[in-house]
Amino acid sequence: MKNNKWRTKPLSVAFAFAGLMALIVPQQVLAGIDTGDDSLEISGFVENATYIRNDVGLSKFRNTLQLEGTKLLGNLGAFSEVSINGTFRATYDGVYDLNSDEYGDGAGGAINLESTNGAPNSPHGLGLGSTDPASVFFGAPLPPNNALDFDVSANPNRGLIELGEHLHDADGGVTFGVPVRPCDKDSRGCKGDYISDTLNDLRYSDFNDRWDFIRELYVNATIDMDSGTTFNLSVGKKQEVWGRTDLFRVLDVLNPVDYSRNNIYDELEDIRIPLWMATAEWQFGANDLLDDMNLQFVWIFDKFRPSKLGQAGTPNQILDAGSLFRGLSNCWDNGCTVSNFAGGDTATNFGPGQLGIRNIEEPEWSLDNGQFGVKFEGVYSDIGFSLNAFYTRSQLPSLRGSGGPGGFATENPFDDTDNDVFPYLIAFDMHFPRVVLVGGSLDYYADPLKTAFRAEVAWTKGEEFANTLKPRLFSESEVVRWVLGADHNFFIRSINKNKAFLASFQTFGQHILDHDREDGPLGPVGMPDWEDNYISTLLIKGWWFQDRLSPQIISAYDWSAKAYVVSPSVDWLINDNWRLQVAANIKLGTGARKFSDCRTCNPFSPFTATPLHDNWDGVNADAGDIGLGGFEPLGRFQSGPIGMAQKEDEIQVTLRYRF
Amino acid sequence: MKNFTKSLLSAALLSVAASASAVTDADIDNSFKPYSKGFPTVNGVVAGLVINKDNVDQYASVLDDGLIKHIKDGWVDITVGEPMDFILNQGYIDATKSGAKRVKLGAKVGELEGYVAGRPFPIEPSLDDPRAGEKMAWNFQYGYNWGDGAAISPFYWKYRNMNTGQIERTIKFNFYFLNFAHRVNHEPMPEVTPNPSKLFRGIYLNVEEPFDVKNTQLLIHRYQDDLKRDNAWLYLGFQRRVRRLATGQVTDSFLGSDLMIEDFEGYNGRISDMNWTYKGSKTMLLPMYDAAKQKRTAEFNESDGYTYTTYHGKGGCFPNVSYSLRKVYIVESDPVDPNHPIGKRVHYMDAQTFTLPRTVTFDRQGKYWKSWMIGQAHPDSHLPANKGTGVSIDDAFGMMDVQSMHCTTGQFKGIVDPKQVKEKQFSVQYMRSFGK
Repeated sequence: MKNNKWRTKPLSVAFAFAGLMALIVPQQVLAGIDTGDDSLEISGFVENATYIRNDVGLSKFRNTLQLEGTKLLGNLGAFSEVSINGTFRATYDGVYDLNSDEYGDGAGGAINLESTNGAPNSPHGLGLGSTDPASVFFGAPLPPNNALDFDVSANPNRGLIELGEHLHDADGGVTFGVPVRPCDKDSRGCKGDYISDTLNDLRYSDFNDRWDFIRELYVNATIDMDSGTTFNLSVGKKQEVWGRTDLFRVLDVLNPVDYSRNNIYDELEDIRIPLWMATAEWQFGANDLLDDMNLQFVWIFDKFRPSKLGQAGTPNQILDAGSLFRGLSNCWDNGCTVSNFAGGDTATNFGPGQLGIRNIEEPEWSLDNGQFGVKFEGVYSDIGFSLNAFYTRSQLPSLRGSGGPGGFATENPFDDTDNDVFPYLIAFDMHFPRVVLVGGSLDYYADPLKTAFRAEVAWTKGEEFANTLKPRLFSESEVVRWVLGADHNFFIRSINKNKAFLASFQTFGQHILDHDREDGPLGPVGMPDWEDNYISTLLIKGWWFQDRLSPQIISAYDWSAKAYVVSPSVDWLINDNWRLQVAANIKLGTGARKFSDCRTCNPFSPFTATPLHDNWDGVNADAGDIGLGGFEPLGRFQSGPIGMAQKEDEIQVTLRYRF
Repeated sequence: MKNFTKSLLSAALLSVAASASAVTDADIDNSFKPYSKGFPTVNGVVAGLVINKDNVDQYASVLDDGLIKHIKDGWVDITVGEPMDFILNQGYIDATKSGAKRVKLGAKVGELEGYVAGRPFPIEPSLDDPRAGEKMAWNFQYGYNWGDGAAISPFYWKYRNMNTGQIERTIKFNFYFLNFAHRVNHEPMPEVTPNPSKLFRGIYLNVEEPFDVKNTQLLIHRYQDDLKRDNAWLYLGFQRRVRRLATGQVTDSFLGSDLMIEDFEGYNGRISDMNWTYKGSKTMLLPMYDAAKQKRTAEFNESDGYTYTTYHGKGGCFPNVSYSLRKVYIVESDPVDPNHPIGKRVHYMDAQTFTLPRTVTFDRQGKYWKSWMIGQAHPDSHLPANKGTGVSIDDAFGMMDVQSMHCTTGQFKGIVDPKQVKEKQFSVQYMRSFGK
């Protein structure tokens, strides 16, 4: 049993922390702290969120203190209604101490990589190419100049999981080891700022070098012009929200999102990553045509921040991407053993500098790297609308392969005298490409249907997608995303006389305009993402006892992935201060999906050539994907965030004290 | 033939009812100053009288059946106060004088022709007039309630268990009202321009406390065309997003209270949503009073020393205010929508102010459901800013759900001051910028 010293102490500390906060705030406080200053408002909450995941146990023991304050400064020069607004959050997640066997410095262990050729599974480091006599492949005939082996002492078989093991077996596909301990405990695969979280970074996720404990801190000021126009200027660290729909981020993309907090399931308010920005807004009010009209410019001058996808070894990783990236990064840095690689059936070692993620190209801070947005919004008759444009960067990483113009040279594992640019090689640099977004939104209430409708649409240019048909294994595509939503209130008087139920239905669609996929000899090749995909959500919510008891059920279905999640919950406002929420998060349908993994991309002809490749001459053939696949690494793009979390059913209990 | 004659007669009556009325200045004076010749008197009902379960039968003629039952059940005692004259703002009276003669009902309920400003129908209603109830409803709708614009800031709502008196929730609101049209006292008059959608009125509110609903905002646009459905938007602080509200659902419990949006101010909906029936006029006790003579509380520590109405009676649900004898028009409204949860409301309209200090609500089975009272304070003894405004100040409410034994009380700090209300507050974008 590891980390016994931490098993009780943080728990008691956390409860003591929460209890202390509750005690120091007088119970009779309505809400907010009486500062004795009418121009200063302070309020906040303490919260404990405890989640239990099947087969894992504790997956979250998050304790949060959040303070929100506004100081009204009144008039300042030409400005009126000047205010300073701040939101500060301190979080301690005890799961890294209380369940450190799963998440923390005791996580992971030794792994064995599959060979479907009849050989026993190979411990990490002892695949084909290993020079260790303990390898079952020791002595196998290999090219004399091969560089397949790696230094197991620098990359030992401990603190690892097999990529995707929580979701699927290797099942004839490729997997490899993923270091899962925090970066200060095991630095393998940690790289740049993107994969760098130490144990304390994970425990206290708000305290980092980007000062995320400042959720918001900005100055807001207004000028009421004689024309009736109101000019509003806001500068500081903040969230800026665009769009009209729930859950889906079609236009609500100004701030990146922290999926490591609770995958896709937390309120966006809690997981948007605030950025330093300035917004200038002219609120023109009504004119002869429009009931309301305003124009907003947004300049994000913060250093670019991608969305946080969750690091390997943490409970919440959207698409399990954090594990993939860290595993690939470790492969590049230290080498790795890949299951079922050679011949499509043999666990194979690869040395450092041969495959994986070489660099993470995080944009430096500069004015050129700023992001700019403009929004025109108005109300015409009964229709509210907006037109939006945003010059930004992809908040999700793009893995640009080494094998083509703009790529980079790597070592040939079968001939260490041959360092070259190899097309279709699974060696990558991570980039965050520039993206332009143009879109709009509208809402409308249809009285005959007693239903409010809302819609968002966005077209983007510059996004990059994995594509095994391209030598660098990615390609750019324009994308159209949209959401249609409808809210309808309905009464079931027999069970609730006073309060209507809310039914909120949404469908999200994504169309990849330059979608690229073909049928290869062994399976489909090209882009794993669906050309057209749809996710529908349905929320049914009711309220009883003066809205103090609110059960709801929210469900989402990914039509292409055939993955389904249902989350029933009950929210109980015990009084003005205490709130208890109990929820379940259950996934159904299809989980892991398979797609070409580029094992058969033949980057190192003749060593990897097969008769199925183009221009096979009996020895050499052209590089290119012929479609042998498995669950990893590209099946995740078909499974989507719901399917990839198929084994992450949870019971969630959240207790909050507000003051 | 008989049916044909009946139809003709009905059409003729409707035509008479809808035609512009021959309103005289005397009618208008009588409408606005019904007590010019003295306040009504009822034997024994004098200032200082306390009506309780022991003597309520004696004074039943000046009370509605719901209140009689409450008193008989020992839920509340009523104290009679001095009668007061609530003279509305002179601008509103002048607008009535200049425009009332041109006002007439349209063919459909909800249609009003020739109206500019002021009281549309400053006449004594007649039981013989089949559309008298509708006219009274218009008088309420276009009443001088909160003047051209006003704020209730803050506005405390308490959710109470009527059996135990336990206060379950306290919500701190700020409400704002702005008349875009039919303005009579503050520029621009008679209408804010531009007004492309021909709005009549905007209602905007935000929530300050408690934390779980902080920054919740509601915006309602009501149109001059009563047949056009209101538009409403809700801003949810925890989502930072404006949601278009399904305004057909104004009969939903608002934020868990015992009020529907439709209950605000006594009735907050379209004239065309209801069938209106005038049931007669009588002298009754209504919660209309001199605030300075009531028991008030400083529990919310207002920096200007303002105090709020206290509550008493069953569950602490009844405004602890005095009632005065008033001339009352009794008007019933029953919903056009067959799915409406309410069977009917009985409104006890104050004839001088056309406010709704007292409304009794019945469910669709005809059972007594809600007891609704809005205490009206005289502006001259309320906040200094309200003095001389000629607005009957909504000062306290108690909404009791007598079936579920639950109530919501409201303590107002109503300020009739145009500076407190900005046109920009009634825009969707304001909700977004306020909610940041």
